[in-house]
Amino acid sequence: MKRFCLMLLALASSSVHAQVTFERIVGAAGEPQNWLTYSGRYAGWRHSDLRGIDAGNVSRLSMQWAFQVADLGQFETTPLVVDGILYGTGQNDRAFAIDARTGRAIWRYQRHLPDKVQPCCGAVNRGFAILGDRLFMATLDAHVIALDTRTGNLLWDVTAADYRQAYSFTVAPLAVKNAVIVGVSGGEFGVRGFIDAYDATSGRRLWRFDTVPAPGQPGHETWAGDSWKSGGAPAWITGAYDPELNLLYWPTGNPSPSNYGGDRGGDNLYSNSMLALDPDTGKLKWYFQFTPHDLYDYDATQVPVLVDAVWEGRPRKLLVQANRNGFLYVLDRSDGSFLSAKPFGHVTWATSIDAHGRPVPNTALKSGPDGTRVCPGAAGLTNWYSPSFDPATRLLYVATSDECDVFTSAPQRYRAGHDFLGSIYVPDPQQRPTGALKAIDALTGEQKWSFPYHTNPNGGALSTAGGVVFAGDSDGNFIALDAATGRDLWHVQLGAAIYSTAVTYELDGRQYVAIAAGSGLFAFALPQP
Amino acid sequence: MALGVALLWQSATVVAAVPATRARAAGASVIAEGRSAFRTNCAPCHGLAARGGGRGPDLTSGNWAHGGSDAEIFRTITRGVPGTEMPANALDDSEVRAIIAFLRSQAPPAHPAIGGDPARGRQLFEGSANCATCHMVDGRGGRLGPDLSRVGAARSVAYLVESIREPDKELTAGATDPNNHYGLPQPYDTVTVVTTAGERVVGIARNEDTYSLQLLAVDQSLRCFLKKDLREVVHERKSLMPAYPETALSASQLNDVLAYLVTLGRERRMAAGDRP
Repeated sequence: MKRFCLMLLALASSSVHAQVTFERIVGAAGEPQNWLTYSGRYAGWRHSDLRGIDAGNVSRLSMQWAFQVADLGQFETTPLVVDGILYGTGQNDRAFAIDARTGRAIWRYQRHLPDKVQPCCGAVNRGFAILGDRLFMATLDAHVIALDTRTGNLLWDVTAADYRQAYSFTVAPLAVKNAVIVGVSGGEFGVRGFIDAYDATSGRRLWRFDTVPAPGQPGHETWAGDSWKSGGAPAWITGAYDPELNLLYWPTGNPSPSNYGGDRGGDNLYSNSMLALDPDTGKLKWYFQFTPHDLYDYDATQVPVLVDAVWEGRPRKLLVQANRNGFLYVLDRSDGSFLSAKPFGHVTWATSIDAHGRPVPNTALKSGPDGTRVCPGAAGLTNWYSPSFDPATRLLYVATSDECDVFTSAPQRYRAGHDFLGSIYVPDPQQRPTGALKAIDALTGEQKWSFPYHTNPNGGALSTAGGVVFAGDSDGNFIALDAATGRDLWHVQLGAAIYSTAVTYELDGRQYVAIAAGSGLFAFALPQP
Repeated sequence: MALGVALLWQSATVVAAVPATRARAAGASVIAEGRSAFRTNCAPCHGLAARGGGRGPDLTSGNWAHGGSDAEIFRTITRGVPGTEMPANALDDSEVRAIIAFLRSQAPPAHPAIGGDPARGRQLFEGSANCATCHMVDGRGGRLGPDLSRVGAARSVAYLVESIREPDKELTAGATDPNNHYGLPQPYDTVTVVTTAGERVVGIARNEDTYSLQLLAVDQSLRCFLKKDLREVVHERKSLMPAYPETALSASQLNDVLAYLVTLGRERRMAAGDRP
């Protein structure tokens, strides 16, 4: 009888569709069987407390299912997993819900896009946000939409910006309280960047923060002439949130044109910055600019990692970011104070970061007839793909790219809806780009280990309490490493470059790890006991 | 930006208008604009100076495989070339015209008239000079080096001379990285592996990752290795092609070979069905 009751209870629980409340996302670390937001939790850790898969058994992982999104191009989604259902987005603004146990589709969605959407680097989307029984997606034609979790039906659809002016979205939104927060793409086309919040219920826009200040606004003086109008500073990666401070941390990208600064004299705020915003109003609490007046496309669009730790003898609320410009930054996230910056690879564009956090330019950079060789290259020492942070070891796992580029620079006339780069960069022809997954002490910047990649990566890292770090390389290998030593524990070839970062969830007491590659989403688990 | 400007040309639509007039001497500002647009949109394949890259031909050689009038170049840029890696590009008419003006401003590199005999050059290529041992032309020849079926249309004479006399000077890149269509081409460098059993194999890496290596060996067999079975993998930035100094290929023989090579690919210009 007791067993029968338990079965009934189990049946009931699997049919109950629990609402994903803001409080659940705040407490996401307490339900590691789910993956409720882009980075797994608001602190940006992409770390799971699941320990079913560990360094001792990971070599026995096998594929449980594969799901084909049926589209080509880079598959960059971070799927969400809620109570046995997995929700993902795909290329060209496809989306789907699937049974996380079997990989069978529950619904599919395909946005009908206009002909001339202009994403710079592929018709990609990085995932949903979820709140209540709604999923939120930001689209390539610069709309924000809400879908019903159970049917995929469109619930609302609002226009954020004009795609014909080359505004687009690729970001996974962040749901905070009842707001859906998104940041725009288009830094290659001279858009004027912004971060928006939309009411999750109605789709009404709650606020907009323009990342390039207009005349009369603080920071406007950092743009020469009219350059602010096409100044870029997009915001295309998902930020982090601190519920105690009630602050949203959102990074921004390059000023436009990315490779020519002659017409945009000044620091070009708030490009390449970390912004701390009030999520209720969009008001700026503080900012920190990593790369003022950037000439090398050093977007700061890397996921910020929020860490509480003792810093120089006193407990502080920190923000750590492995920045595309090659330095690992530690800031005080309550007020934006600069605490430290250490290079985590080969950097030549700056010799150091001064006591105020400002880079010291390398005056010895040599320019040749074909341009200037600069390290890291435009793809950065790291890029948008997620780092992970293991609180037990205080290690930050960062995929890095070892590439130097030769930059050229030229004035370019701005035309709405056109690329606006100010010339181009090419990889140093004498050096084949490679990469690594590095384990770095998040506070000191000390490297603990480095696992070499043959090719520079486009996928990030997932760490777990089982002592395993999962990562994907550009050669199609999905890899499990020992989190403490970097030892290679397991890999599988997925047949296409990996442009995503894994998530993990638990179902029926089994831990799964899911990763997108090519046009497929693949789930792995240990054999059934 | 997530990847690199090489991807900008992915979204492509056909521009219908084709300017009929031949470009006249364009002003410096138009040429500068064209250079900028070229670098952004074309340089990833054709090289920064338009002298050819891993995937696209030299556009300063004066050879236009798909037509050299302004209207023909305009069409090539905006519609692409079906059956090749040249995509259609969604650029403004004025931008395309500026690119053409820039290309026109890049005078073909000066070089002495070749004056060789293409028939003798072909005999050398396929015979005593041993070129065909490694290079294929129209389906005949070896596989170790780049296919040269279109090299006359794709590369300048100066580049060919350098490749023959000093093959290590600039390594040619393979057409496409098999991992990723938008990735960097693999260079034709020299790879030597030593197996744990002591076997030493030299060749060209067709593909490679952290765990494995797919080698086209100098005997032109395909060899697939797991790196865990290898004691050593050494990449050397040198070509497997031997240099041909004057003692190996005299000046007149070189001219004959060049005279043959520059014919390769050019006849395709007239082939039916080469255009939309």
